[in-house]
Amino acid sequence: METHKTAQAPSEHDDPEVDLTAESDAARRQRFERDALEYVDQLYSAAMRMTRNPQDAEDLVQEAYTKAYSSFHQYRPGTNLKAWLYRILTNTYINLYRKRQRQPQQAATDTVEDWQMAKAAQHTSTGLRSAETEALDHLPDSDVKDALQAIPEEFRLAVYFADVEGFAYKEIAEILDIPIGTVMSRLHRGRKLLRGLLTDYARERGITVEPKTPRTRKAAPKKGGTKTTTSKNAESDAGATGGTEEQEAGR
Amino acid sequence: MSADCEKIGDCEDARIQRLYEYLDGALTHEDLEEVRSHLEECTECAHEYDLECIIRSVVRRSCTEKAPDALKVNIMARISQIRVEAGH
Repeated sequence: METHKTAQAPSEHDDPEVDLTAESDAARRQRFERDALEYVDQLYSAAMRMTRNPQDAEDLVQEAYTKAYSSFHQYRPGTNLKAWLYRILTNTYINLYRKRQRQPQQAATDTVEDWQMAKAAQHTSTGLRSAETEALDHLPDSDVKDALQAIPEEFRLAVYFADVEGFAYKEIAEILDIPIGTVMSRLHRGRKLLRGLLTDYARERGITVEPKTPRTRKAAPKKGGTKTTTSKNAESDAGATGGTEEQEAGR
Repeated sequence: MSADCEKIGDCEDARIQRLYEYLDGALTHEDLEEVRSHLEECTECAHEYDLECIIRSVVRRSCTEKAPDALKVNIMARISQIRVEAGH
């Protein structure tokens, strides 16, 4: 046992060994303010993905923090506070908020998903030329938010937690209270859907840069038939080669 | 696709899943090395990988909001209120 290091007056701050039973209300409040409030912006962003509007997001975050404070004595210092807060946020949203919203949209999940998945599947990288990749990189924030908002909620949250917050599968499983395998499949499908939507937007915006007709199911490419006024060079050639290869492989 | 692609997955879906796990830091060291070396050799998978990186950075960039200044203040006010109520 190595316990000789407690010679100094017990500090209230920044050590994981807080004596929860002896902690005064004032000290707990201080600890909460210092440690938990640090994540306000992040929780607010997540709440925006859930509620879709600033006022509701604010209310949700406030509600979640109130709950978190009430059960802060149950949080074990030294464990992942951010994940703990996200879990409370998610639960608050699911239990309280979503019911209040009464939006029947979620029922559409399964049906929406099928066509979206089919569509997303067409968007492999081979169809995406450099100019479009460029456009993807420069998509306005509003497009990206719209795209994320358009995918079913359970996928959206998983993707958000993984790709924006950088949570590990295990942490996401705890936050959403689902098995790790489910996290992985939601991520897989969610990312695919998101990619499909984003590449759609990028294509739309990329058209001015890259005037070649986008790949569609019907039109077989006419060799040398397309004339364009804009210069096409190495960039688009690389993409075109990929496309041809793929078509041949499909025969 | 090159024949080597099968090293990281036997269909496109499996390969994408592998890349996700690679990016998510969910692979064992051995698997990670395998994907890494494949990405160095295969332009197609490397492109797929780049694309996924772009998407992630774009999403991260676009979905990071700052909470209104009043929110923190409101939260602390709410909490003080709880304490007053609980403290009789």
